[in-house]
Amino acid sequence: MTVPLAIDARSLARHYGEGNRRVDALKNATFEIARGEVVAILGPSGSGKTTLLTVLGLINPPDAGSLRIDGHEVLREGARVTNLALFRRRYLGFVFQRSNLIPFLNALENVQLSLELDDVPPREARGRAREILTSLGLAERLDYVPAILSGGEQQRVAIARALVNAPAVVLADEPTAALDSERGRQIMEIFRRAARERGAAILFVTHDHRTLDLVDRVIEMEDGALTVRAGGST
Amino acid sequence: MNLALRDVRHDLARYLLTALGLGLLLTVVLAMMGIYNGLILDGTALPDALGADLWIVQRNTRGPFAELSQISHRLEERVRAVAGVRLARSYSAQTIQRERPGGGKLRFAAVGLPWPDDHGERLPIVSGRELRDPHFEAIADRSLALALGERVRLARDVYTIVGLTEGMLASGGDPIVFFTLSDARQIQYDVANEAVRLEREARLARVRASELGLNPENLRRAHGLSSGVPALGPLPVAAIMVDLAPGADVDTVRAAIGAWPDVTVHTTQGERDLLLRGSLDLMLRQNGLFRVLLVVISTILMGLIIYTMTLEKLHSLALLKLLGARTTVILAMILEESLLLGAIAYGIALVAARFAFPYFPRRIILGDADRVALLGIVVLISVVASAVGIRKALAADPNQVLAS
Ligand SMILES: Nc1ncnc2c1ncn2[C@@H]1O[C@H](COP(=O)(O)OP(=O)(O)O)[C@@H](O)[C@H]1O
Ligand SMILES: [Mg+2]
Repeated sequence: MTVPLAIDARSLARHYGEGNRRVDALKNATFEIARGEVVAILGPSGSGKTTLLTVLGLINPPDAGSLRIDGHEVLREGARVTNLALFRRRYLGFVFQRSNLIPFLNALENVQLSLELDDVPPREARGRAREILTSLGLAERLDYVPAILSGGEQQRVAIARALVNAPAVVLADEPTAALDSERGRQIMEIFRRAARERGAAILFVTHDHRTLDLVDRVIEMEDGALTVRAGGST
Repeated sequence: MNLALRDVRHDLARYLLTALGLGLLLTVVLAMMGIYNGLILDGTALPDALGADLWIVQRNTRGPFAELSQISHRLEERVRAVAGVRLARSYSAQTIQRERPGGGKLRFAAVGLPWPDDHGERLPIVSGRELRDPHFEAIADRSLALALGERVRLARDVYTIVGLTEGMLASGGDPIVFFTLSDARQIQYDVANEAVRLEREARLARVRASELGLNPENLRRAHGLSSGVPALGPLPVAAIMVDLAPGADVDTVRAAIGAWPDVTVHTTQGERDLLLRGSLDLMLRQNGLFRVLLVVISTILMGLIIYTMTLEKLHSLALLKLLGARTTVILAMILEESLLLGAIAYGIALVAARFAFPYFPRRIILGDADRVALLGIVVLISVVASAVGIRKALAADPNQVLAS
């Protein structure tokens, strides 16, 4: 039995606006990503990187194309064929540039919530959340609310939350943009480890070419079109 | 994990302050309910306490509470002769405002009890005793703040407070003081010496100008006590109260007396209705309108509060959707916060009512039914208010998380 692909995208397309305002933000995107792969998405501002992530994250409905995640068909000819809420909480993890966390929950609760939304019993959820936060060096920060965490700590909590329910795919939109290069590199190493140890496929948007030595492949975007090439770690 | 509680905890001070404001608003709603009950109870306390079966008043009037009525107290004797009547008592009352013994104003309604038939046995006396002497004793309502044994100068005499009642207020809200009927009339018709002298001179002049003035005996009488003048009637009373003999039929007696051309007869229930639909009616309706307004205002206010609270959470709600939260999780969070706000405000209202209402100038009477009714209103308001927030929350777009 073969392990299903984490992402199997066929001819995904998305445009905004009509007439002379029309922007083709994503054109005919076809690619495959296996579990355990770390993939960087590069490209100038406005080239369609966020659009690609939101289409893959089932937040943004595409005009056309098909998508399978972890072997499950989620988009067929542009149409959704699954319970999105359920699919998001079970197969997908999200990390963004900033304001990732719920401000009225502390670090532990933010991670725990992601499990409880998927009906993991509170005690177990708490234990697993504590464990992953500890593994990311946040054992001393469990009861801190986001407002008193540093930017790097906030991002690590967000990553813990994205990884805690063992998703097939983690989608991260410029997760290191708000961090200095050393902290950015720490985050990259966490992704690298998560991919290896948890078998998640990690797709992240970045502008920092110095981190490319840690990725398996690079998707380069230009005006909505993408090309895939090998990264520095291979 | 309960998201509502955690959100509340996050900004507890502001949440509680909001609840406090809302709670005070609900206190006013409670006050309105209590004032309504108080108006009814105070307004009908007197006819209830006097406990007559029938009230005989001036023909075609709605007296003696809702309207002025004047009839001769001689009617008492006529009424006693009617079959089925056990007792006929005169009733008269007047609002009096004098000086307190220690200074300050002393305002009350003076009600006369017919001596010796009524010593005040039926009054809700909470301390002291009934009237024992035909003169110079009084039973005052507690709200007048006179002490047992306190002596008060009224008209030309000094009266001793021998008993205190609870909740005996006239329909205007003034406490009632009970005297014997003759004392009460003495106080009501206290006329200055000069006025008495002038009236006697005028009488003398009138008699002298007529044929009667030819008789010196007539002149002597006209210049004397008014009670010694055969042509002068006694001062009127407001009504005659009738107590029926055991086994007598109210309707039969009522029909018999009602057939007399000079009077009108009301039952005690009739007197209550006259009060409630007469002098109290406008106040009660005004109160009802206020209550409706306050409930509407509370709903709008709470709706606005929940709406703003939802707006502030919009980012979190979008994030929750992105994390794959079920719609019910989001709905429950907003509904729970709204209900919790309502519940805290309700608790504050109950506590505030308990401590503040006794200090209100007029009685505020709350029953369990009123508290339950307010609870129902609060739940309803909370649900309606949360609907506003829920509408907004459902529109929260996960894309907003990425846009920010
Ligand atoms: N909601 C939207 N409505 C209209 N145009 C949009 C919207 N989102 C993105 N675009 C446009 O689509 C293009 C791609 O945007 P985006 O995917 O955000 O690019 P990137 O993330 O690479 O900067 C840009 O030209 C942008 O202006
Ligand atoms: Mg972008």
